[in-house]
Amino acid sequence: MYTDRLLIIFILGTYLLSPAIIDWWSEGGRAWYRPYLIWLGLIALSYWIARSRSRDSDGL
Amino acid sequence: MAYSVGQLILIACGYLMFLFLVAWITERGWLPARLVRHPLVYVFSLGVYASAWAVYGTVGYAYQYGYNFLAYFLGISGVFLMAPVLLAPILRLTTTYQLGSLADIFAFRYRSRIAGALTTVMMVIGMLPLLSLQLKAVAESIQILTGEPDPSWVAFWFCLLITLFAILFGARHATARERHEGLVVAIATESLIKVAAFAAVAVLGLYGVFDGPQGLTQWLGQHPEMLSRLYAPLQDGSWHGLIMAFFVSAVVMPHMFYMAFTENLNPRALVSASWGLPLLFLGMALCVPIILWSALASNAPTSPDYFALGVGMATGQGALLGYLAGLAGASGMLIVATLALSGMCLNHLVLPASPLSAAQDLYRNLLWTRRVLIAAILALAYLFYRLAGWSHSSVELGVLTFVAALQFVPGLIGALFWPSGNRNGLFAGMIAGFTLWALALLLPILHAPWQIPRILGLIGLNDVQGVSQWNQVAIASIVFNGVIYAIVSIITPMSRSERTAAEACAVGSLRRPYRWELGAQTVDDFIHALSAPLGPVTAAREVEMALRDLRIKHSETRPYALRRLRDQLETNLSGLLGPSVSHQLMDDNLPYKPEEGESSEDIRFIESRLEQYRDKLSGLAAELDSLRRFHRQTLLELPIGVISLGADGEIIGWNRAMEALTDISDDDTIGSRLDHLPSPWGELLADFSRGETTHNPQRHLQVEGLSRWLSLHKSQIQSQVPNEQAGGQVIVLEDITDLRQMESHLAHNERLASIGRLAAGVAHEIGNPVTAIACLAQNLDGHSDAEEQQLSAAQIMEQTRRITRIVESLVTFSHSGGFRDTIHGPVDLRATVQEAIALLLLDPDHRLQHFDNLCGSGHEVVGDPQRLLQVFVNLLGNAADASDDESPIVIRSEDNGECIAIQVEDHGHGVPAELREALFEPFVTSKPPGRGTGLGLALVYSIIEDHHGAVRVQSPIDGVRGTRFIIELPRYGTTSASLQTE
Repeated sequence: MYTDRLLIIFILGTYLLSPAIIDWWSEGGRAWYRPYLIWLGLIALSYWIARSRSRDSDGL
Repeated sequence: MAYSVGQLILIACGYLMFLFLVAWITERGWLPARLVRHPLVYVFSLGVYASAWAVYGTVGYAYQYGYNFLAYFLGISGVFLMAPVLLAPILRLTTTYQLGSLADIFAFRYRSRIAGALTTVMMVIGMLPLLSLQLKAVAESIQILTGEPDPSWVAFWFCLLITLFAILFGARHATARERHEGLVVAIATESLIKVAAFAAVAVLGLYGVFDGPQGLTQWLGQHPEMLSRLYAPLQDGSWHGLIMAFFVSAVVMPHMFYMAFTENLNPRALVSASWGLPLLFLGMALCVPIILWSALASNAPTSPDYFALGVGMATGQGALLGYLAGLAGASGMLIVATLALSGMCLNHLVLPASPLSAAQDLYRNLLWTRRVLIAAILALAYLFYRLAGWSHSSVELGVLTFVAALQFVPGLIGALFWPSGNRNGLFAGMIAGFTLWALALLLPILHAPWQIPRILGLIGLNDVQGVSQWNQVAIASIVFNGVIYAIVSIITPMSRSERTAAEACAVGSLRRPYRWELGAQTVDDFIHALSAPLGPVTAAREVEMALRDLRIKHSETRPYALRRLRDQLETNLSGLLGPSVSHQLMDDNLPYKPEEGESSEDIRFIESRLEQYRDKLSGLAAELDSLRRFHRQTLLELPIGVISLGADGEIIGWNRAMEALTDISDDDTIGSRLDHLPSPWGELLADFSRGETTHNPQRHLQVEGLSRWLSLHKSQIQSQVPNEQAGGQVIVLEDITDLRQMESHLAHNERLASIGRLAAGVAHEIGNPVTAIACLAQNLDGHSDAEEQQLSAAQIMEQTRRITRIVESLVTFSHSGGFRDTIHGPVDLRATVQEAIALLLLDPDHRLQHFDNLCGSGHEVVGDPQRLLQVFVNLLGNAADASDDESPIVIRSEDNGECIAIQVEDHGHGVPAELREALFEPFVTSKPPGRGTGLGLALVYSIIEDHHGAVRVQSPIDGVRGTRFIIELPRYGTTSASLQTE
């Protein structure tokens, strides 16, 4: 449960810090695909977490 | 244009027929179960989120609001990236309590029918713009491709078509217990077609318009305004509001809720969806700017909302792909959303308003009501389209629904994470937020001259101009809603049932159920009670189904099991009738008894829930759970029996020693009462539990003909809450039968030993005078000729011989016990018994006695042959004394592996009952005075004990007469080595 709460705080923090990310993304110029790269990174992280989670336990 | 309306409608029909075929094949079981339950199917079925708005609206949105369009895809991706935290608890709730919709969750969590009804009404109203958007999108795309001037009749026919297919797809079963596998696979296929067609449009644009990625980069270099148009809206501050709106509304949307939770075929697939669905939407989102730029570069002849069609039209190929993508998105969303909404209306509006009638077929009624509701909802969507939908853009209609969906978010967060949130807070918050939404967004769309009330200026909404400023309305309404929910929840009280439900729903907490006693005592009582509202056939079917789910027998009467049965029935009926109707039905027909004193927590149930929850515990909780397991195991493995009872006398603990002692498994005892245990345990334990004494050190019990001695203790369990009554009782039971037998043996041996010592002394003291008397009597006999004196002398000598015999037996008895010092070999039982018989036949009294020596040849025991001979002489002599000459005395032996049992059986008068207990004590005899010393059997006992054997007696053997002595002696060859070395 503590892990879940920490995760929520982390996500809330990311949400609040997102202006910095948006600034970086807006400065992309012709590299219009920058937001998709961040997105892909998140998916890779989620995939990794899902894999290690399913190795640790049988359920969610 | 090369297409006619008829052709495009036919394509729509063909497409829907194909989807239905997929569903039909799946339901017939022609597709392998592995494929149907594959996580990929689940991921694609969740693609239903991408409706026609994703295909058409997002491109228009990107044109108007630049990169903000990403929020639509990123919002839902964010939700699924956090699926283990956000969605898993909802899935747990929906599967545990058979909750099929958000309204079900609210009605269950806030224990209120009104909460369910209010949520349903708001959801239907809030969804109408998005439903009408789908009709509009298909109708307008047909209009664009064909040049048809009036799309409204196309929308009408499409609406009819969808009604038919929605009924075919989802309203063929009445209960949510049966998942619609066909629907899931069909919707997954729909998503696959949609994504493939949408991607094909993008690829067509990329290669047809730009000649590949390099051409696109070059074009962007030549038109930098295209990129700045994409980036500029990011800086206007609406991004946060947008992402939040799409993030939170993604879960509460009925079609998403339905596919993600209600139709979830494989709970573990949620883990795959946590990365699979974001990946799917990443692909779709990547297509949006490419389609936008392709359409702009090729001067597509459509409005930006329909650029997905425009690209194909401008390049002259593939316009149908855009149409197919839009059609797939619209039809999938319409079917699933209508099914979900019809279920909500049925459970929360129709059923609570119209009482169930036992006379009618419940399942059939439910099915038809649901079909009518599907038609009614789609008719309302069409009505909304005719009233306002046709005149507003897809973006406006979509946003209207997303902001409405936001109004359910505070209630849902409260349900999952805040057990103090109550129904009053929910009503107040939802009504406030929804009113704000209706005043600021819905009414301006439905009625153009509508002016936003000035009072809304107090919360900063005075300059809102309809949907264009929706961002402000979204933020204001959700903040308003959330704050009111929190404040009202804090200041108003909460009912007990609501608190229980809140604990059941809260993430990270385990439901702590209380044990109340049910009025129904048997399974048949359940069927009888439910027959009134459901009809006897349905009632019996539902009860049998619940019994099967719980693997409980029909004959079950334990209160614990009956409570579980009630819970399971409520859960199952909840899938059929919705949680509020189901809860009310159970309360009315299977009520708990009025409470007497405090009810106690159902510890057994908590334990079983903790067992299921084990994998999910971490940190301190996991440590505490390990500690709990350790204590529990200690109690279970304790070598003395422990029973713990709840305050109401229900058995909540029954350890392994109890199982071994009573031969009753804990599965049969937990949850029942002591009175219900089989005899003699029930009477014994119930009397002791009720009695005032806390300790009964020696309690005799006859169990299946065997004598048992038990030591019982009991103690009250102190309540964990101060100033409350005792929490229950613990009874400790120890089997002391072995100890009692050992004590008895010790006492007996001690008595024999002291008698032996006494006998030795007496024999010594009497021996000398008797010898002297015998000498004198001989002298008297020799010296006197008188016949009378000679006779007297002879009698004196006869009496002295008798005294000498008695003294000799005393001496023999006192000398027994020297066995341990001698070395023993094998003793052939048959030969020894035969020798004893031969000796006895020398006695004139026994000369005519018939003996049957049936001892097995080769049966050898460890022992002293002379002393064992003495044993048999004594036993056979006693038997001969008790028997008539005609009745034979039978001696048998039997090899029992470790030992050999010898039986000496006669059919004489038997042993009197009063002597049986003390038969092996010295000086106890059934013979007339002067015939026996009473030392024979004591000597037998002593010799057999010395041989590490046992002797017991059974009398009578045929109910009236006869005696059987059974001697068990260690078999030679198995234990001789160990005995000889002792």
